[in-house]
Parts: sequence; C-alpha cells; structure tokens
Amino acid sequence: MLGLVAVLFWAGVHNLRHRRALSEANHIKLIPAAPASSATNDSGLPDVEGYNLRGKDAPSFTLSDLSGKKVSLADFKGHPIVVNFWATWCGPCKLEMPWFQEFSAKYRGQGLEVLGLSQDDGASRQDVADAAKKIGVTYTILMPDEAVAKKYGGVDYLPETFYIDRLGKVVDVTAGAPSKDEMEALIRKTIAAGGA
Amino acid sequence: MKRTLLPLGIALAFPLIAAAQIQLGGLDRPTEAKKQHVELLTDSLQLTANKPQDVELRFRVEPGFHINSHKPKDELLIPTELKLDAGTLHIANQQYPPGQHFRLQIGGGEDLDVYQGEFRVALRVEAPKGDTTLSGGLRYQACDNAACFPARTLPVKIAITAK
Repeated sequence: MLGLVAVLFWAGVHNLRHRRALSEANHIKLIPAAPASSATNDSGLPDVEGYNLRGKDAPSFTLSDLSGKKVSLADFKGHPIVVNFWATWCGPCKLEMPWFQEFSAKYRGQGLEVLGLSQDDGASRQDVADAAKKIGVTYTILMPDEAVAKKYGGVDYLPETFYIDRLGKVVDVTAGAPSKDEMEALIRKTIAAGGA
Repeated sequence: MKRTLLPLGIALAFPLIAAAQIQLGGLDRPTEAKKQHVELLTDSLQLTANKPQDVELRFRVEPGFHINSHKPKDELLIPTELKLDAGTLHIANQQYPPGQHFRLQIGGGEDLDVYQGEFRVALRVEAPKGDTTLSGGLRYQACDNAACFPARTLPVKIAITAK
C-alpha cells in the first residue's frame, strides 16, 4: 500500500513539473479542467469558478462600445467569438492585441468576431479609445462593467481570453498572453468547434 | 480492532488523496491569496529628534514579478508611487530610484522601466522627540512575463523613535 502511494506521489510530481515547464515555456497559465473550490476564493488570480467555464454557455452581457452603442454577446449568435479582457495599463495585453486584429481580418470570412472588454475602471471612453487606436485595433472595444467580469470569474489577471463557438459554448480559456501560433490554433479550434 | 484500523485508514488515505490531487493537477490551481507582490522591508527607524535626516524605505518585489518604476516609459502604465501621511513628522525630498530596463518578450516585445528585487525610496525626515508611526501606502502595478495584476496599494507602517 505504502509502495503504491509512493509511486503515485512520485509520478504526480513528475507529471506536474513537466506540465509546469510546458506552461512556462508557452507563457500561458495552466487552467485546471475541474477546479475544486468555489468563487469564494480570494486569490490574486481570477476566481477558480471563472476558469471552469469551458464547455459551458458563455455568460451573457450587454456593454457600451466606444461610441456609446449597446452591444450584447447575443448580437453575435452564430459566430465564433473571442472575448478578450484587457486594460490600457497591461503590457502583455497590448502586445497580443495586434494579433487579434490580424486574425479578425484573416478569419472574417469564417465569421470570427473579436470583442475587447476593457478593464480600465474609472477610465473615460476617450482614454480607452485613444489606447485602442495607439495599439492599432479596430475590432469592437467595450467599456468595463465589474458585473460582467464577475460572471467570467473575476478577471483579476490580464489578459484573459474566452474562446466561444457558434453555439455560444466556451471552447477554451487562456490567462496570460499565449504565443501567436497558440492564439491562432485556439481561434481555429473555436471556428471548427461549433460547426461551419 | 475497529478503533485501531480507523486511524490507520485515515493515515493511509491522506497521502493517497495528496497523490491524486497532484495527479489531477490540483496543485496548479491558483491558490495564491490576493496577496501583495511587494513587501516593505523597513519596519522601524531610529532618528535624532528635531533634526532633518535622510532615510531609506526598503521594498522588495516578489521574485518573478516586476512593477513599473516611478517614471514608466509609457504614459498608459501605472507608476509606482509612495504616499505618506506625515502626521507630526516633517517629510521632504522624496526620491525614487531609477528603474531597470526590462524587455517584455511577447510578439515584437516592449522595453519597460521597472523595479525588480529590492528598491529603496529616499526621504528627508524630521521627527519630534518620542515615538510615532509613519504610515501611508505604496501604489504599484505588478506583472510577470505574460500577464498583469490590477494596481494595488501596499500599506506602509513604520515605527519611528526619535531621541
């Protein structure tokens, strides 16, 4: 019995180290498939419950865009959607956003929509618009609402991105900037997931 | 017999559960408390009463993280800023150290001006005779190589003894 425990423990540690090394190399935070705790976690990272959206319906929201127009997630029903939480003060966010811009053009024919949800609490619409212009993105940028961030698990760690298929299911979630290739692979997976 | 077996069963179950937790990736779960990524290393200062003196407040950024310097390169970035409540003290000449160069290695990359490891904020302080507390907060915004946390404020509380 003790021998079995020792073997299991050793194998687990080895497995964990391997996954962490892969994760660090990819600059992506590993997100557990089945987190054990509830949203009461006061982690510096987003709530575990938020990480557990994969395979579930993406939480609905309605937010204002940079012109003040109301935009709902439901407006994009039938489209593969990237919901990217970002902030003007987040360096990694600003570096990955041009890739979303590029991929939104590349996969437009397949219906891809990218929504950038600003997390700049207290920033003016103009501040966010200026930042988006400076970063060079023209896809839909939405103003912050803490209630929406909460629905997505707190989003206390940026960037955080939710890949949502045509049926409105969350296909995958990343916290931290992935490589460009990884981002494209996730977009392709999302496009394929809900059927063409 | 049952009384003997129960503790033995519990003792064997714990390592099994721990092993299963690791196997299933449970230790990857973000358990980091909503903690600070900067700590204050200075907890007290001994001063000569009624005489302006230069002191340094020492801070340390958590390994693996960086925070923007007091003068980040990009206007959109949140600078590190120390705000103190002087109370009965006279505080002047607050000086921040220069930042270190840090290259964010994502895509085309970005050059940043940051604090990593230990950094010190210099002050000129004059204190009346006796014990008092210097309090305030250090506002900073921390990132690692791939992601950032929202700005936080580290409470600053330093016991001052002036003789």
